[in-house]
Amino acid sequence: MTGYLVRRAGQMVLTLFLIITVAFFLVQAQPGDYASFYALNPDLPPDVREQIRASFGLDKPLWEQYLIHLKNTVTGNFGVSFGHFPRPVMDVLIERVPRTAVLFLTATVFSFYIGFFLGKAIAWRRGGVLEYTATISGATLFTVFTPAFALMMIWIFSFRLGWLPVGKFLDPLVWRHADVTANHVFGQMLLTAFLFTVFAFLVLWALRKTGRVALARWAGPLIAVGAVVVLLLWSISSVGGLALDILKHMVLPIVTLTLISFAGTMLLTRNSMLETVREDYVMAARAKGLPEKQVRDRHAARNALLPVVTSLVYSLIFAIDGSVIIEVVFSWPGTGLTLLQAVRTEDLPLVMGAMVFIGLFSLLAHVIVDILYVYLDPRIRYQ
Amino acid sequence: MVFSGRILLVFSLVLVLSALLACTREVEVVREVPVEVEVQVPVEVEREVLVEVLVTPTPAAPTPSADSGSSSTENIYQIGISEDLTTTNYWAFLGPDGTIWNQYVLAGGKVGLYTYSDQRFDWVPALASDFPTDLKEETVNGETFWTTEVPLRQGVKWSDGNDVTAEDFAFTAGTVNDLELKGNWPSIVDPDYFDHAEAINPHLLKIYFKQEPGLARWQFGLAFMPVFSKAYWEPVVEEAKMAGEITEQHKVLYAHEPDGEPTAGGFDFGKWERGAFAEKARNDDFYFTDSITTQYASGAYQETKPGAYEFTAFGDPGGDKTLEYTVGPFADSVIYSIYGSQDATVLALKKGDVDFMLNPLGLSKGLQEQLEDAEGLTTIENASDGVRYLGFNFRREPMSNKAFRQSVATLIDKEFLTQTVLQGVADPVYSMVPAGNVAWYNPDVPQTGKGLSRAERVATAVELLKEAGFTWEVEPRVSEDGRFVEQHGEGLRLPSGDPMPELMIMSPSPGYDPLRSTFAIWIERWLNEVGIPVRAELTGFNLIVEKVFDQQDFDMWILGWGLTLFPDYLENFFHSRHSGLEGHNAGGYNNPEFDRLADELLAETDVERAMDQVFKMQEFLAEELPYVTLFDTPIVETYRSDKLVYPYTQNLGGLQSVGALIGTVQFK
Repeated sequence: MTGYLVRRAGQMVLTLFLIITVAFFLVQAQPGDYASFYALNPDLPPDVREQIRASFGLDKPLWEQYLIHLKNTVTGNFGVSFGHFPRPVMDVLIERVPRTAVLFLTATVFSFYIGFFLGKAIAWRRGGVLEYTATISGATLFTVFTPAFALMMIWIFSFRLGWLPVGKFLDPLVWRHADVTANHVFGQMLLTAFLFTVFAFLVLWALRKTGRVALARWAGPLIAVGAVVVLLLWSISSVGGLALDILKHMVLPIVTLTLISFAGTMLLTRNSMLETVREDYVMAARAKGLPEKQVRDRHAARNALLPVVTSLVYSLIFAIDGSVIIEVVFSWPGTGLTLLQAVRTEDLPLVMGAMVFIGLFSLLAHVIVDILYVYLDPRIRYQ
Repeated sequence: MVFSGRILLVFSLVLVLSALLACTREVEVVREVPVEVEVQVPVEVEREVLVEVLVTPTPAAPTPSADSGSSSTENIYQIGISEDLTTTNYWAFLGPDGTIWNQYVLAGGKVGLYTYSDQRFDWVPALASDFPTDLKEETVNGETFWTTEVPLRQGVKWSDGNDVTAEDFAFTAGTVNDLELKGNWPSIVDPDYFDHAEAINPHLLKIYFKQEPGLARWQFGLAFMPVFSKAYWEPVVEEAKMAGEITEQHKVLYAHEPDGEPTAGGFDFGKWERGAFAEKARNDDFYFTDSITTQYASGAYQETKPGAYEFTAFGDPGGDKTLEYTVGPFADSVIYSIYGSQDATVLALKKGDVDFMLNPLGLSKGLQEQLEDAEGLTTIENASDGVRYLGFNFRREPMSNKAFRQSVATLIDKEFLTQTVLQGVADPVYSMVPAGNVAWYNPDVPQTGKGLSRAERVATAVELLKEAGFTWEVEPRVSEDGRFVEQHGEGLRLPSGDPMPELMIMSPSPGYDPLRSTFAIWIERWLNEVGIPVRAELTGFNLIVEKVFDQQDFDMWILGWGLTLFPDYLENFFHSRHSGLEGHNAGGYNNPEFDRLADELLAETDVERAMDQVFKMQEFLAEELPYVTLFDTPIVETYRSDKLVYPYTQNLGGLQSVGALIGTVQFK
């Protein structure tokens, strides 16, 4: 395993190098450069544009610019954003990532839970109303034109019904006197989610470790109590109201994201389950007279989990990448929107920083999935 | 299994019911609420900007706010914008961060010596108490300068309680010079002209120029420079100066995030939640609060503040008033909410989350239609200060041939395209100074081809080309009813006898600008009909900029300019000194006579004489046609009229060009 990991690390470095190189030359292949955006300002003569180029290092030969970006990446200093001059690229990314992470991690978890639950159910009882309803509606939503669907959701739930806000991630009237920044609250929310997840896993692990079924049944109530405690702590916290405002703004994008993406997991689970239900060990479990629910959940679904978990891990990692469409339509200023604007304005350092960031996470995702395989499927061993 | 089925069923029912409920409500709204959208009379391009007599009403009792985040006695003006700020540092805003969104939020936080009056754009004092003395030549310590003295108002204070003095101006201009700031700064403080400024006393400023400055360098340049608080910025500037190389000095200055920076404007910058909103709070010590500005039909201009000052210019006040308003601010706070798209902002406007949306291009046709039947909103339309044009590359034949350019201009039926094809969303333009810029627009500028039928256009174009020595194998022929060209011209040859080369018109693609691409396609068609082989290349904006400005590798191109009120841009676009690579005279137009006119304009120090020169330049360009001006689009904006009262709504460039009047808007 160690040898395998070392080899993978080497491959990662090489792949990352290729990502940086391709990203750099793709951006450079666009006509013009950052200073071109000043070309149509009559107040800026050519010499001023030249000075702008010089101050951003755009007057240097291409290979020299490339080496500078390589060096910046290796040293972890992505330089200064042109579009947010003179803010460091890392500063801009660190500001945007938590917002995207909170929204897209939540949506990913919801859509996987619903997708897995439905996929398991429709694979187990085929031909029913549920299968047709879930498959048709899921496939329809999966293939719907996302911007139009998102705008329709806003129109229905925000404009016509007035239940939810029209985009954005906070209400200025609620936040104008706040002493903390939104990123502080996002950070607290992420920390809470992380701690709660650890707590839930510990509870499950500890109770199962006892080997007593009666005790294991207490896992659900214990986790629920933990959730109530977390909610109580937030409600008495000074930023509880602000967090609630963010949650209110998250509802519509999460529902939209869940609706357009749960079908992927559902169909994946269904297909995987259809293969496992034909396996001998499922027949053996039935032959032993085990209850249907137990055969489905413990014997069939658990073995069908492998591709689903792989897909989930990728989705969780790519959640930091965000979605340009969702972020634009819901006015959610995260990494997706930032990357789009950076590409559009040829803000080279920010594009490179974002690409490296995303590339690094996706490479890590692959390694994590490989390692998870070993634990999820004892038959897999890396040489 | 049964449980999951129920979930799905309930979920589906909720969705369906929600959709039904939404639709039901919409029907009710349409039935019960009469359409009350007030669309104001459009400002026609050929007409002067409308000015309406409007005496500002007494501010009404503030509307209680239902929101917990705002006090019940507060008037909050909420404005939607489509992109975030990139800085709150005003030095950076006029340097590398010169975005329109920064301008919307930051403008008004600083005051200059002089400013433009509302609607009429008279040059009037702001921090200055009167007009400056005439420029005079003066020798100091063996060096010759051109100097002027400017009296400053007494009693104007920064929001930290300190007086605004001549020292603040001298510090600001000196900093720009010392740090060699780039971006927009050199057009405000031109280092070739400005030498230094000194405070003779706290309220008397003396400015020293290296050479005699024209209007563009002094009255419409340095005089508009935003003045910074010396007390607040001096330590930051000193720190920047210690930073080493000039680029490092810039970084230190631009990296400073102002915290508690005093203002002499109507609003203090309050809070910026990145990606979400920015807020400005009313400056209770704003000097001009409660002053009354009155403009008269006679041209006279008057500002009065009882017990403080009275200023009159351009004639004796009296007779019909064209505009009168009281200066606020009446808003306790202005919140700029950032939305990811115009669609989302429009929905927020309809819902009442924002009162106005700022956008440099105004509302597109589709969005206008969305707002048509919305309750409590009023839509206004104004001329914009810009022009879309067809440019020629004078380095190539036949674009360098005047007859060719004139025949192209004749063939383009702007009225047909703007009114019939584009259904009135654009207005034809015939001069490089838009008609909305009343003071500088020459109404007698030649309007090539205007009013001609298709047959007359073709005949005139053919005649022009033949006179210049162009020949055809087969001449174009118009149908008997004169509606179309039944025989296209073939075998067109240049005066030299060479075959006419195939030409290309580069234009933005329909996705970027459907109006310009429509023009390109029709121009391609009309030119091909008379035998000029042209292909319209609809391509990306960046590619056009690179080909035209950076490489100068093109035949013709269609782009547009946003313009300034003082038309010194004419020099920039057409003087031969700007025809090098990346210069704004990308077409390479080179005419010594025009160069002389342009040089005279830059050197001119008298407004009346400058107007004469600009009029001449417009006529010259309309004849020479280095650009064929095509059209411009009016700025259409919508605001929440059930909440707001503006002192006026007719303005060149729309209300967005005056930051939606945050200093004078009142609340119902």
